[in-house]
Amino acid sequence: MKIKVFAALKDYFDKDFLLEENLKTITDLKAHLAQQQPKALALLNLCRFAVDDEFVDLSHLIHENDEISVIPPSSGG
Amino acid sequence: MKMMKSALFPQVAEVNISPLSDIDLDLVQLLSLAHDPKAGAVVLFSGEVRDNSIGKTVNYLDYEAHESMASKMIASIVEEAAKRWHLTKALAQHRTGKVMSGESAVVVITCSPHRKEAYAANRYIIDRIKHEVPIWKCEYFSDGTKEWGGNCSCQKITGDANKHVYEFEG
Repeated sequence: MKIKVFAALKDYFDKDFLLEENLKTITDLKAHLAQQQPKALALLNLCRFAVDDEFVDLSHLIHENDEISVIPPSSGG
Repeated sequence: MKMMKSALFPQVAEVNISPLSDIDLDLVQLLSLAHDPKAGAVVLFSGEVRDNSIGKTVNYLDYEAHESMASKMIASIVEEAAKRWHLTKALAQHRTGKVMSGESAVVVITCSPHRKEAYAANRYIIDRIKHEVPIWKCEYFSDGTKEWGGNCSCQKITGDANKHVYEFEG
C-alpha cells in the first residue's frame, strides 16, 4: 500500500512511502505508524484516513494496492 | 409542480472555476464571474491573512492541500449550498502555497434573489471548508519560526474527527 501524509505529519514521516507490512485495517495502520514514530501518536489520534480520496473509518479493510491518505485536522481558511 | 420549481430554481448555480488556486485570488474578477441579473443580493467573503497570531507577527502563511480531495469537497459543498438555498450563482476558491499577510486565502461568493439566503449559504460554505476540507496552513513568523497552525479542534468537544461545531448552527 502507498501512504501519503500531510502538513505536520511530514515532521515525522516522508510525504509518501510504501508499506509492505501485512496490515488488515486502518486501526492496524495507525498502530504501525505510531510504533514507527511514537511522538506522532497524539496527532495520529486526531487524523482522518482516506482511501482513494474517500474518507474511511478505522475498521476499513486495507487492500494491497490502496493509496491511503493520513489527514490531520483541517486548518484552512 | 416539480417542473415549475426547477424552472424557478435552476439546479446548476455553481460557477465553473477551479476550487484551488496557486496564484493570487482575483476578487474583482471572481465577483464579476458570479454576477447574476437574477440576484438581488451578492455576498463576498474573503478570508485574509492576519498579520499576527498567538501574539507573534506573521509574515506569511503557506497552504498545503490534499488537492484532489480538497477540490472535490469544495465543489460538492458549494453545489450542496446552491441547492439548499436556491442560489442563482455560487463559487469558492482557496489558495495553496505562499500567501502574504493582508492577502486573500479563500473567497466565497453567494448570490440569491434576497440577502438572507446569500448570507446563510456563504457562512455555511466557509464553515464547512474550514472544518472539513483537507487544507492546512503553516504560519511563518517574523522571528524566523514556523508553526502548523490553527487546527480545527472540534474533536476535543465532539469526540469525533468527523463531527464539528459550526458557526452557522450557532
